[in-house]
Amino acid sequence: MEAFGVVVIGAGPGGYPAAIRAAQLGASVALVEKEDLGGTCLNWGCIPTKCLISSSDLYARVKSAGTMGLKVEGASFDYAAMSDRKDQVVRTLRNGVKQLLKANVVKVFQGTASFQGRNRILVSPEAASAASSSEPVVIGADKTIIATGTSSAMPAFLPRHARVLESRAFLSLKSLPSSVLVLGGGVIGCEFACMLGQLGARVTVVELLEDILWGLDADVRRELRRHMEKTLGVRILTGGTLEDVSADERRVRGRVGTEWVEADVLLAAFGRKSTAEQLQLENAGLGVDERGFIAVDEYGRTQVATIYAVGDVTGGPFLAHAATSQGLVAAENACRRHLRRNETCVASCIFTSPEIGTVGLSEQEAQHQGRKIKTGKFMLGALGKALAIGEPMGFVKWVADAETDQLLGAHAIGPHATGLIAEAAVAIRAELTAAELARTVHAHPTLAEAWMEAAHALRDEPIHTIPERTRAKAGDQ
Amino acid sequence: MPRPVVMPKLGQSEEEGTLVRWLKKEGDGVAKGDVLFEIETDKALLEVESFFEGILLKIVVPEGQTVPVQTTVAFIGDPGEAVPEITVPAAKPGKGEGPRASAKVSEHPPVAAAGGEAQARAGRRIARERVPRPQERPSPPPAHPEAPSIFKISPRAARLAEECAVDPKVIVGTGPGGRIVEKDVSSYLDTKGYAHLRVTPTAKNLARKEGIDLFNLQPSDDGGRIGVADIETALAERPKPMGRMRRVIAQRLAESFRSAPHFFVTVSADLTELDSFRKELKSKGVSYTVTDFILKAVAATLEGFPAVNSTTDGEKIWWHSRIDLGLAVALEQGLVVPVLRNANKLTLADIHEQATELTARARAGKLTPGEMTGSTFTISNMGMLDVENFTAIINPGESAILAVSSLAKHPVVRDDRVVIRSLMKMTLSSDHRIIDGALAARFLNAIRNKLEEISLWRRLV
Ligand SMILES: Cc1cc2nc3c(=O)[nH]c(=O)nc-3n(C[C@H](O)[C@H](O)[C@H](O)COP(=O)(O)OP(=O)(O)OC[C@H]3O[C@@H](n4cnc5c(N)ncnc54)[C@H](O)[C@@H]3O)c2cc1C
Repeated sequence: MEAFGVVVIGAGPGGYPAAIRAAQLGASVALVEKEDLGGTCLNWGCIPTKCLISSSDLYARVKSAGTMGLKVEGASFDYAAMSDRKDQVVRTLRNGVKQLLKANVVKVFQGTASFQGRNRILVSPEAASAASSSEPVVIGADKTIIATGTSSAMPAFLPRHARVLESRAFLSLKSLPSSVLVLGGGVIGCEFACMLGQLGARVTVVELLEDILWGLDADVRRELRRHMEKTLGVRILTGGTLEDVSADERRVRGRVGTEWVEADVLLAAFGRKSTAEQLQLENAGLGVDERGFIAVDEYGRTQVATIYAVGDVTGGPFLAHAATSQGLVAAENACRRHLRRNETCVASCIFTSPEIGTVGLSEQEAQHQGRKIKTGKFMLGALGKALAIGEPMGFVKWVADAETDQLLGAHAIGPHATGLIAEAAVAIRAELTAAELARTVHAHPTLAEAWMEAAHALRDEPIHTIPERTRAKAGDQ
Repeated sequence: MPRPVVMPKLGQSEEEGTLVRWLKKEGDGVAKGDVLFEIETDKALLEVESFFEGILLKIVVPEGQTVPVQTTVAFIGDPGEAVPEITVPAAKPGKGEGPRASAKVSEHPPVAAAGGEAQARAGRRIARERVPRPQERPSPPPAHPEAPSIFKISPRAARLAEECAVDPKVIVGTGPGGRIVEKDVSSYLDTKGYAHLRVTPTAKNLARKEGIDLFNLQPSDDGGRIGVADIETALAERPKPMGRMRRVIAQRLAESFRSAPHFFVTVSADLTELDSFRKELKSKGVSYTVTDFILKAVAATLEGFPAVNSTTDGEKIWWHSRIDLGLAVALEQGLVVPVLRNANKLTLADIHEQATELTARARAGKLTPGEMTGSTFTISNMGMLDVENFTAIINPGESAILAVSSLAKHPVVRDDRVVIRSLMKMTLSSDHRIIDGALAARFLNAIRNKLEEISLWRRLV
């Protein structure tokens, strides 16, 4: 039996960086993957969706280029080509991961891993990929890092039909449906809805909760919803379930309350499920929680001393970069004496139109914790740069502790909000105060100036906004 | 005219009370009998009800403050009525008093009072002879060495220390008369390596606000940086003043354990029959608790053991003429001991009724101080807490206490055969100055015999 210091199961953004870090720390490392290197994120998640969204976004901008003084006539798109480009990007990145693993001497096993014992892992090649023609093998593992993520699952109440798709199947379409019923107004649903809306498809989003992206800062939600409805023409139905769903050769239809809705295709954008049950965890003395996820402590340790778990399989926050950070922590903790904690400050980005970035506490969460807070908001429309690039929409907002001035949360919606949030994440992790941030010189003209302006506003010292009191007076004249 | 609401006087010995919590806000409507606020006295946490009806116009005494009894704490009147300006006499905060407050408490030794003539005399006597006691010297060590009374610092030096979140009291001053000047602070910062200290901006703000010395902290962050979490740890570790009730308990029990040489005797009582008798009664709709039987057995036994129902100061012995049983009841904030007066004169049914009633009111914080003073012997029952055995500390003013543990099934040898019996351990703590081992053993066995004598109970119910 071949034995390794560290065996990592799953080559997604949680698993493969963990394997690399463990190898860098001197361990002999095996990485087991049943499908493709890069996991959900690279193959069927973050990367392919962002490829399509970049295409649709550019298309929308080209169509409105007249406002920038450009003359573009007859702009159109070829969805199949957009999809091919996406596949090309994925192949490039996947190959990059392969090279990295090779360079770091990580041994990759192709197959499905399951525990035979706490230190014995069975790798069975997938029946489908019989091309590999390899036999099942058992490998020994001193330490194991589980990073098997979640898989797309079709909710049981939906009919099995070619017009009813989950996100992974939807990404394989080679032509654009003319109308789409998006079930679920979460991150994935909203991103797809915006992309499809920009390309001119008729989109209806059905969300069970009171609002789309529930849990996000209320101001941000309001802004996004307005944009999706007004600019992209997306219909959003919230607070109701989709019932009586049926599909035939021509269409798929269902009922929301008393209203019937129909479309070419239904995209089920919710209901990902844990991959833990395939692992035969009981053979290692491990169990799962009531939702099927593997519980870990703040150091990424499971209840079994030699087994760690990272990423989506631990039950959230379902973000690729969180998985990566946890993967690195687990690898370090598995290889070293000195224990490191998982990071708690994790930004989350939503690639809708407009984009959203948030990190830390929302106003509502901070109040819920009983903290006294103050907030500072700055409209991007007041920035030279936002006007210059022709996207004067959205805002950034700080939430800070009223007593210590600590920056607790940041929320951005508007152009490049997903990139802008990085500065806020650094500030919050470093426990900076609003005063420090306001005094930090920000280059001009940039969108990042908004953070400084919002920090000024939070301290009631705004420069580029008219304070409430004066504004009222100015209006009188 | 708005009517003043005053801090009530709840017992003979109560001179002051701490206003713990307001249950009404200024502007709230108040009906007669509404609970206005909670107070904590030496002995209890109590709710105070309104005698008046109207609007709570003004709160004069805020939460956490201790004021003498009869002090006006609020005004109730009609909406919009003007409230007279008054100042709170001798107001002192309930929190952060430290040594001063504990000295204050010991001026009124909370000795069990008024439990018959002898007891009352004993109480006074003990109170008088108590004067120089070790614990009345200024006690709990302060967090950092207390500043000398002539602590002198220049405003600039103070500002620098404050800005850097370091405690200036540990800095040696070189100015006239040992005054700390700015230069002293900066050279102190240099020698201690302030420049190498890595602190997040928020952590520094918080340390300054809370008066935490950054030099006393250990960073928990991987990068060796002091963060908010470290300040919060320091705040959590700060010594907190005990609640008044806790302080009184601490003082009384420490005093008792120090002055009375305790010794302990344990027996196992076989309650198999009594317990099935109890269940039999219950099925007929008559419910007694195990505690009821114990109270009855103890009260009856004490009649024949006056020495156990007594107290001493080390020179004289007072035999109590009454048998007043204290029953320890655990509360979240501590322990209270309501008293069953003349317990030996009560029937089992009386005992059940009174014990149930007192315990319920104790749990609800509704006992008056008078109901908690003057017991002559105490029973502490931890039966419901699943314990094998434990020992208790004698209540001041008494000479023994009975600790009752859980009833549990055990293998027992009877007639050379192993049988299953329900046993309950009882441990008597006795003051060896009055009670000797043989006396304790006889007393305890007498209680046991009563509990095991089922015909007795059949007669008593
Ligand atoms: C449509 C979509 C869009 C998304 N967009 C974003 C985004 O923009 N930003 C973002 O941060 N996150 C995004 N996510 C979420 C992100 O993809 C996940 O959070 C991330 O992939 C989790 O990483 P992971 O390593 O935990 O698991 P995964 O990426 O799911 O990787 C797990 C790997 O383990 C393998 N595996 C599972 N079981 C076994 C087994 N028994 N043996 C061997 N191998 C096994 C799987 O094949 C897979 O390759 C998106 C997700 C979806 C579905």
